Amino acid sequence: MVDKVLSEQGAGSISTTAIRIRESGIERRARFRGLAEPLSLLVALAVLIGVFSLLNERFLTASNFQNVLTQSAIPLIVAVGATLVILLGSIDLSVEGVMGATGMTWILLSANSRGGVDLGPWAWVIALGVALVLGVASGLIFTALKVPSFIVTLGMWYVGLGIATMLYGTDLLPRLEDEGLKGWTSTITFGLPNSFWVALLVIGLGILLLRNTRIGRVTLAIGNSETIVRSAGLPAFRVKVAVFAIAALLSGLGGILATVQLDIGSPTVGSGVLFIVIPAVVIGGTHLGGGKGGILRTVLGVFLLTILNNGLILSGVESSYQSAVTGAILVAAIVFAAWSQRDRLQVAK
Amino acid sequence: MSKIDDETTKVAVPVSVPVPARAKLPSVKRIGGWHAIGPIVIFLAILAVVAILTPAFIGGGGLAIIASSSAPILLLALGQAMVLNVGSIDLSNAAIGLLGAILLALTLGPVAGLSPLIVLLATTAFGAVNGLILAYAQVPSFALTLGTLGIFQAVALVASGRTTVYVSSNGEGVHSLYESGIANVPMTFWMGVLLAVALWVLLRYTRVGRGMTAIGKNESAAIFSAVRTRSLKVLAFALSGFAAGLAGIAIIAQAGSASPTGLGSDLLLPAIAAALIGGTSISGGVVNPLTVIFGALTVALVPIATTAVGIDAQAQSLVYGAVIIAVVALTMSRNKSSIVK
Repeated sequence: MVDKVLSEQGAGSISTTAIRIRESGIERRARFRGLAEPLSLLVALAVLIGVFSLLNERFLTASNFQNVLTQSAIPLIVAVGATLVILLGSIDLSVEGVMGATGMTWILLSANSRGGVDLGPWAWVIALGVALVLGVASGLIFTALKVPSFIVTLGMWYVGLGIATMLYGTDLLPRLEDEGLKGWTSTITFGLPNSFWVALLVIGLGILLLRNTRIGRVTLAIGNSETIVRSAGLPAFRVKVAVFAIAALLSGLGGILATVQLDIGSPTVGSGVLFIVIPAVVIGGTHLGGGKGGILRTVLGVFLLTILNNGLILSGVESSYQSAVTGAILVAAIVFAAWSQRDRLQVAK
Repeated sequence: MSKIDDETTKVAVPVSVPVPARAKLPSVKRIGGWHAIGPIVIFLAILAVVAILTPAFIGGGGLAIIASSSAPILLLALGQAMVLNVGSIDLSNAAIGLLGAILLALTLGPVAGLSPLIVLLATTAFGAVNGLILAYAQVPSFALTLGTLGIFQAVALVASGRTTVYVSSNGEGVHSLYESGIANVPMTFWMGVLLAVALWVLLRYTRVGRGMTAIGKNESAAIFSAVRTRSLKVLAFALSGFAAGLAGIAIIAQAGSASPTGLGSDLLLPAIAAALIGGTSISGGVVNPLTVIFGALTVALVPIATTAVGIDAQAQSLVYGAVIIAVVALTMSRNKSSIVK
């Protein structure tokens, strides 16, 4: 039987060449698409920067540049985790809840106006531990109980907010009293704000994780076809839990930095982050179905949205319009990306 | 070589023999049954806990309070369930509902009786636009409606001038929907029940409804069976917009005013939760509008139940989140080899 197949292949060597030519064509086009999408984002960014700098000379100043970087740092950190989850084909809606729970835990264990304990660096460890527990819980419920990630993380959003609200209690606002940390996020070191350095570190580690580790490769593979991953004996279960844990840790880190930036502890410290992060991931070109995309694209997406909002405010556009602009860009980006692949038999969920 | 052949036949045997396949059928049926009664059982179980701990609540018209506070959630959840049934999601429907409420508050004075009609037409059109973009540009509904959510939010902010819009005159008719009622339960809730029954009939007994469920179960198969998938998806989103418009009317009936941050501004997630607790599958093809009523009642009951059990008010959202996860984990149908995203 095998012999027969082999002989058939030998006889059809001409047709395999044709197939190979066709395949290399597909590959070339895929490579072109892979380049064209980020390129079009870069062009869009350049056009935006050009237009805004014409509209307001304050836009292209060093201080506004640092301002934009500070604004984008927290969404960037959270978006790295969100990208990993979306590459699985799942979704993480819990970011704002995790940010709230982590931020509140951290400030109550650091030097704050309510007094209490000051654990210094241990406050970071315990707060990130809370985030990790929430993330692992999401991951385990998702994988072991097979509850869709949308629902698990929706529930976990409320759980996180609930933890934060309980910690907040009915006392006065906990105000940060660590003089060394006040304003730390926007302090400039080597020309860049501190929080942006953290974001750069997270982005770098995220790219390394995705490119060079087993977790990263299996994440991409799960997004492409979980059936194949499982039948290849790869650890789909563990990787999924790990990715949700990493995403929650990054949300938690974002929550702590947001609390430092805000100077006070608040359960709603992450409010609005989800509506920047998920559009940014999608605008960057990561597929909601999973398997395709990457962290650098998300970085471009976050920059596009932050620069747009910053520029619109400087141009005197009322802030009421901000969500419409983000929304319109998101719709335009997905329609643009999907337009060439429209097909009567295509299934769009 | 022969070994390979052996193995393939070995694998093929259980698939080709019909007996095990037939033996599997009852279990599927049983899950279907649990789907139908699960939401009711959960609602009654939570209600029983409340009734035992605080008997005065049930005696003092507590059920009517739950029903009236669940009305906007129920209306939005029914629209959401229709969209979930075709395998999509509508993140913008609560924003459309709120925009509808603001439009109603703005127009009730000038055009009086025509105003609810205009609002319903507008919200249905908003929903249909979502559906048209989804069906013809073939983009994922999650991202699309997240985008339009932002747009509708901004329109609501601009239309209301970021403040509370009060109904200036002619508000009596709409307000009476909340004031009058059957069995002490306001008409806004019965409006939801009526819509649920209508949608149930649509889904059970009409070609259109069956087609929608077919899309949710297997869209490719539906296309090959000549189901008009595009128009039906547009219809599902239009129904979601229509239901959101009714929710907007319910908000005005209850509050007499609308604001971008007031009553109804955070109904998106409770409404999705209500649809899911009501037995709607998030991946499509499974829905029963009648059990969604109990989903909405459960969502409205949870905050009351947590207080009745003696849990601190601050822990409410924690309990709420845990209940959503637990209820969906309990009522979901799943099989071992399926892929859950």
